Amino acid sequence: MIEVRQLVKSYGPTLAVAGIDLDVAAGRIVGILGPNGAGKTTTLRILTCFMPATSGTAKVNGHDVFRESAQVRQCIGYLPENTPLYPEMRVDEHLHYFGRLYGMNRATRVRRINELTDRCGLGQIRRRLVGQLSKGNRQRVGLAQAMLHEPKLLVLDEPTIGLDPTQITEVRRLIAELGEKKTILLSTHILPEVERTCDDVVIIHQGRIAAQGTPDQLKARLRSRGRTRVELKANPVEVKKALAEVDGVGAVATTARDGWCIATIDAEDEERDIRPAVASAVMSRGWQLRELRHDSPSLEEFFIRVTSAPAGEVT
Amino acid sequence: MKTLIIAQRELSSFFYSPIAYVVMALFMVLAGMLFRPGFASGEPAEMRILFGATVWVLIGLAPAITMRLFAEEQRSGTIETLMTSPVTDAQVVIGKWLGALGFYALLLSPTLVCVVLLEIWGRPDYGPIVTGYIGLLLLGGLYLAIGTCASVLTRNQIIAFVITLVIILVLTVVTHFLQFLLPPSWGKAMLFLNVNHQYEAFAKGLIDFACVTYFVSGILLFLVIAAVGLHSRRWR
Repeated sequence: MIEVRQLVKSYGPTLAVAGIDLDVAAGRIVGILGPNGAGKTTTLRILTCFMPATSGTAKVNGHDVFRESAQVRQCIGYLPENTPLYPEMRVDEHLHYFGRLYGMNRATRVRRINELTDRCGLGQIRRRLVGQLSKGNRQRVGLAQAMLHEPKLLVLDEPTIGLDPTQITEVRRLIAELGEKKTILLSTHILPEVERTCDDVVIIHQGRIAAQGTPDQLKARLRSRGRTRVELKANPVEVKKALAEVDGVGAVATTARDGWCIATIDAEDEERDIRPAVASAVMSRGWQLRELRHDSPSLEEFFIRVTSAPAGEVT
Repeated sequence: MKTLIIAQRELSSFFYSPIAYVVMALFMVLAGMLFRPGFASGEPAEMRILFGATVWVLIGLAPAITMRLFAEEQRSGTIETLMTSPVTDAQVVIGKWLGALGFYALLLSPTLVCVVLLEIWGRPDYGPIVTGYIGLLLLGGLYLAIGTCASVLTRNQIIAFVITLVIILVLTVVTHFLQFLLPPSWGKAMLFLNVNHQYEAFAKGLIDFACVTYFVSGILLFLVIAAVGLHSRRWR
């Protein structure tokens, strides 16, 4: 559905997108993840034909975004960041207006708007002025508008930003429902969103793709890097010394809190489980043990690791 | 077709805010005040004074009508949804300009009452009245095209207003004075550029092909600049 090759976009001297290659198969929900200013919005704007790339090519549904922009725009539904809508129009009018711009006749518009009214929960607000809607309702209108002409590809830029937890869940549910039929490309910097809704994750950092894969694949690449955490009652200095002697233990860091010592242990060999050895070392000294657990890495950890490294160095 | 859809939205969006009604009301009061003195027995049954004054009122009015067109869309970000829908730059520019022109035509329409009054109480010469309206529409069309163009260039409505005002003042006041200050050949060129000079023929009841060409080409020029300005986003 989407084919991006060596996409570059510079704003004067600033390189916003520095050579991105991306393939998205039809029917997938792909999340573009990255810190603010990583180039997410720029990439989406190029794909939706709002602005051209400095170099490189991008194809959507087989059409080049530069040369066949009209066809590309016809098959994309786009919800820009912060959901820009005309505040002076009513929800109904707004939807009809864009439906007409997409060349839909009256009967089709009415049918689609009625369908979307149920789907996006617009029932109560169809006659309201857009300018008076809450952020959550604006988002629903924006989503309805993006889906109005039944686009093959839905591009959503930060669809859940500024929503409360209930609304976020609702938008996620909607995206998941839609994802069964459509290809969805969404950008976000909220990690749980990607973990729950997306089939594939693309992490962009400083205009480059830093990592790419399913959420599970990305986490698997981190799994071996988990840490063991021990909480016990003892002198932190002694604990550090004692644990460092345990076979297989690498670095140990200790902190004291409320009279308890919390030690974080990295294994020397990442494949090996050091918990039994640590436990017996603690027992042999007769220290009072409160907790011993292995923290498996989260996508968040992976994200932080990837985005804090200089671009291009992460494998 | 899409041009008309956009024009229709623009036109109706003027009426979402009370300002449109206030402007229309003020214009009607002003028009009435300008029409009344000449509407007496013994005076010629014509609308010259009203038309002549409208030409000047437009200097401040046209920028106010157009300043919102693109500046507001660029500020609020709706330009992104609009330009990523399957419409061309030309359709958007012409649509918005037509919407503004429609509003301006609606603004002028109450003055038709004056024509009715003249018909009832006198025997008006319809030639100058018809050409006067045509001239006003062309002149307004030019000013609105200038305003559309200025609005594309900025996301700030005030700046759009000022740019439009300055260009219009150059075409009306500055060229008027320059024609005396510059050597005769240049002065002639300045006179040609002067909007009021070009409008005179219409006020007299003439439809001069040269004057029509002046306004139409002016409108086209500024609309093309606006479309190019809008398209410049897609450069590089």
